[in-house]
Amino acid sequence: MSAHADLPHLTYENTQLPKESLWRKFPLIGIGIGVVCLALAFVLGGSEGGHEGGEHGGGHQQFYLSYLTAFMFWLAISVGALFFVLIQHGTRAGWSIVVRRIAENWMILLPFFGILVIPLFIGQHDLYHWSHPIAPDDLMLQRKATYYDSTFYTVRTIAIIAIWTLLATALYRWSTRQDKTGDGKLSHKMRWWAPLGFVAFAITTTIGAIDWMMSLDPHWYSTIFGVYYFAASVMASGAVITLSALALQKSGVLKDAITTEHYHDLGKWTFAFIVFWTYIAFSQFFLIWYANIPEETIWFGHRLVHGWEYVSVFLPIAHFVLPFFFLMSRHVKRRRLTLALGAGWLLFAHYVDMFWIIQPAVHGEHFSIHIADLLTLVGLGGVLIGGFAWFMGRGPTAPVQDPRLEESLRFENF
Amino acid sequence: MATAHDTIDPLDPVKGRAPLILGNASFADITNAVAAPLEQTSYKGWWLGFGAAVLTLGVLLISVGYLVWEGTGIWGLQNPVGWGWAIVNFVFWVGIGHAGTLISAILFLFRQKWRTSINRYAEAMTIFAVICALLFPTIHVGRIWLLYWVFPIPNQMAMWPNFMSPLLWDVFAVSTYFTVSLLFWYVGLIPDFATMRDRSKGLRQKIYGGFALGWRGSMRHWVNYEKAYLILAALSTPLVLSVHTIVSFDFAVSNLPGWHTTIFPPYFVAGAIFSGFAMVLTLAIPARKIFHLEHIITTKHLENMAKIILLTGSLVGYAYGMEAFVAWYSGNEYESFTFSHRMFGDYAWAYWIMITCNVVSPQFFWFKKMRRNVTVLFILSIFVNIGMWFERFVITMSLSADFIPSSWDYYSPTIWDISTFIGSFGLFFTLFFLFLRFIPMVAIAEVKTVLPQADPHWHPESAHGADADHATKEAHAHG
Repeated sequence: MSAHADLPHLTYENTQLPKESLWRKFPLIGIGIGVVCLALAFVLGGSEGGHEGGEHGGGHQQFYLSYLTAFMFWLAISVGALFFVLIQHGTRAGWSIVVRRIAENWMILLPFFGILVIPLFIGQHDLYHWSHPIAPDDLMLQRKATYYDSTFYTVRTIAIIAIWTLLATALYRWSTRQDKTGDGKLSHKMRWWAPLGFVAFAITTTIGAIDWMMSLDPHWYSTIFGVYYFAASVMASGAVITLSALALQKSGVLKDAITTEHYHDLGKWTFAFIVFWTYIAFSQFFLIWYANIPEETIWFGHRLVHGWEYVSVFLPIAHFVLPFFFLMSRHVKRRRLTLALGAGWLLFAHYVDMFWIIQPAVHGEHFSIHIADLLTLVGLGGVLIGGFAWFMGRGPTAPVQDPRLEESLRFENF
Repeated sequence: MATAHDTIDPLDPVKGRAPLILGNASFADITNAVAAPLEQTSYKGWWLGFGAAVLTLGVLLISVGYLVWEGTGIWGLQNPVGWGWAIVNFVFWVGIGHAGTLISAILFLFRQKWRTSINRYAEAMTIFAVICALLFPTIHVGRIWLLYWVFPIPNQMAMWPNFMSPLLWDVFAVSTYFTVSLLFWYVGLIPDFATMRDRSKGLRQKIYGGFALGWRGSMRHWVNYEKAYLILAALSTPLVLSVHTIVSFDFAVSNLPGWHTTIFPPYFVAGAIFSGFAMVLTLAIPARKIFHLEHIITTKHLENMAKIILLTGSLVGYAYGMEAFVAWYSGNEYESFTFSHRMFGDYAWAYWIMITCNVVSPQFFWFKKMRRNVTVLFILSIFVNIGMWFERFVITMSLSADFIPSSWDYYSPTIWDISTFIGSFGLFFTLFFLFLRFIPMVAIAEVKTVLPQADPHWHPESAHGADADHATKEAHAHG
């Protein structure tokens, strides 16, 4: 137990990103990378998509497919960060306060997905088979014509992002206001709203996962799908919060504030969601495999042929077996280098997961990786990391005036 | 009683965590309070309760005896509904048996120190509930003298159980769960058995001493104990999820609409925790009053359980919603028929009881006043118990309207269905009443660790007076 004198004293000033730090330049660099990469991806993703888009497509099918994959990848991180913030408030956790601002700054990017989602509408016909006129003999699709009505779909998308925006901006504003005032009432307020936030979060995340990913194969359905995306998102955000904390400390902020103890807990949190994701993914696969009903197995069927079978085998290894055994050890979670390696690998596995869910729906006939996949991933990453850096530069990098900050600073695993 | 909470500023980083044990209790006070029910010779209320439980156990013995003599035909089972109350009761009891291990394993890993006041009897409840659960598949096999056939024992008939059947996985899952829960419970009990040994005389002392395995409370003992406890907690955590997951597979691997849906595993686990915590409340509320343990199992503990009930109840509500939505979304007419049949068909009454008890009633726990009102908690916990029984009933009754309309039938229980189910409560409560009088119902050693005095930095001279001082030290202990 450390004595009071040993605790670092965090103030509004000493937690700011240094002026000369790369973080300060990253908003511009990131946007630059984003624009260049996305433009390149659009051009390069057009040539091939031309004939694949068919009569309904706009000729850039590959671009939109890659874009959707990258979109869901990065969205998961912000959605997971929102959950992270909500659960820390909801359970009145003490350990996590010092890293909460990192999660908040990933969470506050959610409103920008309102803009980033636009290409999905432009490329709707290239991506979503339900947006084409429904064939008269396709009775199953005709039954859900009301759900996949394009107006209703648009309203849902807007509503989901609006609710996320509302939650994220409210939590962000209260938390940053506390940096200046130290008002304890704000802590109560965030705690009071967190449980209601969960309700909104559960519904919106589920519908989002169904509308943007499950609907790629509109005949297929799985009641667990929303939980699947949730599990993936919490795991991915855990990895990103860890990596962000490490990167921030490299630039000289929060040096003594975020300790091995916090990393250990972040590692445990992420580890728990590696297992939870596996549990959900296994439940979904296993029940469908065992019952063997053709209209359900077809979804896995697409992923077990034409080269996709290698991805299907690789995914559980990359997303479960390797990180599970690697991160199980206490020493690995408490060493920064090994923890960073684990977190980085998890992000890779998360991309494989999104790729495996999204791409076979359109590229069912063969497994392929396109340069546009990489470009959209990096492009959106540039924009979003740029956004994160900008928010980080706006104020202190930790909730310096949270009345309970000391509890987090003195936290120790035992 | 609640004063200590009200005077504490929850935002204070050091003093913000309210004391878990009220009334400035010392180590000795805890031991005395918990040991009292075991040492006092006569409890009128206990004898009354125990007597009623034993009588009900008699009902079970008669029902099971008649069943073994006559066969499962005495139940209401019929052609489409080949699984009646037996499977409903099995899942009901297994579900209740989930709270104990969740509290002792998962809440332990989550550093939820309030669990120390309730884990012992929640674990006891778990073990007794799993015993009740195991009873039903056992007697449902009909010829129970052939029960050993469920185990893969090499035999001259070269006959093996069907390894592809989730019912066989149940045999392994539930028996593993039972074994690990029992071990976990027993490991936690060893220091307390030693305490009882040191407080008793004669034969009693010998018996407690035998169970205490020579525990002397040395540093070496404690180090081993803590390690064993952590390892058992880590092992039990996946078990909490796996047992009810496999129970859900009993239904979900089939092709039956209403049973086959991918959300079943997590939905069953959430439901199990939900019903388990409700049963903990149902039992804890009278027990803490009768045995004067209100300073150890405080309103704060009850409130926390109410929050978990609200959370898991809402998760169950989410699953009901997803099932109904996907039944429509799938465009599969069997699926949508099953759900409209559930909601508006022959068993609509059961469906709406389920929705009211499981989804609507926990919503009262959004309000702090309700969460801290012991009467409301007790009543709602019983509602949840009822609702969770009906959930399994509603699911099982998907059988009544299968794919061939000519075979549809309405399931009605016979008197023997009912007497067996009621009798199982006799078994449960007989064991529970015995537990209350012979085993410390609160983990004495563990509760002591959350007292302010347990902190090595605690100074007796600074601890006079206010609870707030205790809280200071306790926050230190929390780190």
